[in-house]
Amino acid sequence: MTDFFANFLNPEKRLFVGYLISAAFIAVIWLRAVQKKPLTTIVSGFFNSKIWFSKSAIGDYKLMVLNQFFIKLLAPILLGQLALTLFVFENMHLLFSRPSESIPVWMVMIIFTTTLFVVDDFSRYLVHRLMHRVPILWRFHKAHHSATNLTPLTVLRTHPIEAVLFSFRALVVHSLCLGVCFFFFSGSVSLIEIFGASLFVVVFHALGSNLRHSHVSISYWNWLEKILVSPAQHQLHHSINSKHFDCNFGAILSIWDTIGGSCLTSNKDQQIEFGLKGQSEAAHNLKNLIVGS
Amino acid sequence: MFIKRFTAKAVPLTVVLTSAILISSASFARSNVYADFPITLKDYSGSATTSTSYKGQMARHALESSLKKLISKGDMSAMQSYYSGGSADRVIIAPATKGDFVIMQSTIGELSSKNLSGKTYKGLIPGWPGNMTGPEVVAFMFEKAADAEAGYDAAHAYDYTQLVSKFLMGAVMYNQAVDNYLDEKLEADTKPNNKPYKDGAAYTGKEHVWDEAFGYFGAPSHTLTLSAQDVYNIAKQKDVSAADYNYDGKVDLYKEMAFGHAYYASSFDKGGKTTYLHDIVGAYMDGRDMLVAADANALSDSQRDQLKAYAKIIKTNWEKVIAEAVFKYAGETYEDMVKIEAILESNGDVAKAWRNYAKHWGELKGFALALQVGGKDMGAVSVRLNRLIGHSPLLLGNTQVTGVDSNGEYIQSNSESWGGYMAHMLKVQNLMVDEFAVVAKSHDQTAGLAELVKTLGGKSSAEND
Repeated sequence: MTDFFANFLNPEKRLFVGYLISAAFIAVIWLRAVQKKPLTTIVSGFFNSKIWFSKSAIGDYKLMVLNQFFIKLLAPILLGQLALTLFVFENMHLLFSRPSESIPVWMVMIIFTTTLFVVDDFSRYLVHRLMHRVPILWRFHKAHHSATNLTPLTVLRTHPIEAVLFSFRALVVHSLCLGVCFFFFSGSVSLIEIFGASLFVVVFHALGSNLRHSHVSISYWNWLEKILVSPAQHQLHHSINSKHFDCNFGAILSIWDTIGGSCLTSNKDQQIEFGLKGQSEAAHNLKNLIVGS
Repeated sequence: MFIKRFTAKAVPLTVVLTSAILISSASFARSNVYADFPITLKDYSGSATTSTSYKGQMARHALESSLKKLISKGDMSAMQSYYSGGSADRVIIAPATKGDFVIMQSTIGELSSKNLSGKTYKGLIPGWPGNMTGPEVVAFMFEKAADAEAGYDAAHAYDYTQLVSKFLMGAVMYNQAVDNYLDEKLEADTKPNNKPYKDGAAYTGKEHVWDEAFGYFGAPSHTLTLSAQDVYNIAKQKDVSAADYNYDGKVDLYKEMAFGHAYYASSFDKGGKTTYLHDIVGAYMDGRDMLVAADANALSDSQRDQLKAYAKIIKTNWEKVIAEAVFKYAGETYEDMVKIEAILESNGDVAKAWRNYAKHWGELKGFALALQVGGKDMGAVSVRLNRLIGHSPLLLGNTQVTGVDSNGEYIQSNSESWGGYMAHMLKVQNLMVDEFAVVAKSHDQTAGLAELVKTLGGKSSAEND
């Protein structure tokens, strides 16, 4: 149960209460200032029981609770992290000379924090793309895409097998970054943190990352959407319309999509239906979310 | 009124506590100093006043220390004399008087006219090229040292002073103690406790076996009254007050000096993470106290089991001390390689760094060879350790000594890249952690990495995009 609440109390998690509040503020400002909606409509939209108690949202909650228990079983995967980091560190010797002089800690912090952010984001893009393009992986990932209502909690609408793959991804990325950076900077490797989480993660989440899984369609300037994924772009990714399929795989940066030809910019007045083509309401049942319908 | 009531309660309590302390200390008293244990043999008629005797072992420590100085002079006949000669007149070259640190003995004969060759491990030394036994390796190194300049062969990066010294500490002291005295000589039918060690001796079989094993470790007899730092300072001849236990103004090499692996144990323990020195000497003390209590009677099976349990503490900790040294010098060798690479990249003069590299590698190799002569079949660990270190340091041009030809000349072959050999040093450190659970971890090249992985590593998450 404490793990469940940790989702809302840990600044490393997207559902941290501070990020939810900041997302709400951003949503209010956007809906009021850009879309000129009345405040009452905005507030009632936030508390719309048709969304929060929809079959889709209830499906989110079921998977969320199931994954709380499942995640615990994944702990042994991360025990391999030190061995893998050592492996990376040792093999770096075959490729580069070990620096004999150290550089200032602040510079190391900037380099490590940025490297980890970029590599982590790229790996998320890559894994996400594979989840869509490889048929067997799509069988698991479609549980996430079967959501017909998007709420911030949809972030945890994840098939347990996907959670395993995500854990391996985190293991590989962190081992790689730590092993490489330890080779160049030894023990001075550290992260620029705010509230115990990476600076970039906090900024990304504080700037409304939760709105990507919502009906608040915030779009950026066209040029910016080729660099950073806007909430509206991610909503396009969840679209039922086949012309939006396989676009915007990026997590934070859309540079990868731009390079990979999958970047789709949003329209200010886009109306999107979420979910999968031809799915029935039964798709939100836990059994169907796990074994497929 | 208050005082009366307090006293009435406090007095009985104090009596109970004091009695408890007295009773417990009487039952479990441990001697403080490994010296002057009484003669227990009932029919001993000689003039000795104690059954403790291990002068021969301390003579061997003095021979090894002196030999170390001689190798750097390259005098072959002197090396042979200290290794295998028997003259009582051989001067103790090290440790020698230094300022107020006055050494009592000046010749080996004042301790005991022993040699090292008779006690060198006779088995094969697989970590050294040429399929040689322990004494053959020593003889080979002497020849090479005599040909080299001050015991240093820059072309092959061999430092024979370090190689011989660290190898002998293992092949003589460690091997004799753990593979002989603390092994087969603890059995019931060998050197029994109800008979003199030899006719006319003041000590029983087991008493002397235990004393000899203690001597080989090289700790001052009053170690338990000292800190690890004190013992370290004694070995470095920096603190005469810590050494001179009987206040006679001189340091007795028999009882008051720190040698060999006891010195290395103190060097690791002074960091505060380990207690090898006191654990080992404590176990020696407990075993010796038990033998005094046995009062020259044959040991029962359970008494011998207890003695073997003390021996196990000694063996395990001693092995860890050597493994810690292997760990340390693998780390120093790695650091030298980083420096050499940087100097070469800037076209600087590498001679001094190369000298250090040879020195540290020599210590690494010597300790690695020592680790393998404890009478334990180390199996694959031994193979791995020898392959990782190789027969020589990695030389410029990425070659290594891989053998010895029929003329006794080294054969070199292509080997690892510079970085590849650095990775070998890391693997040696990992091997010492995995196989011997070393704790002090001096010059740890991955220090802090585990903590970084713990704090900055990836975490499981079901968050989706």
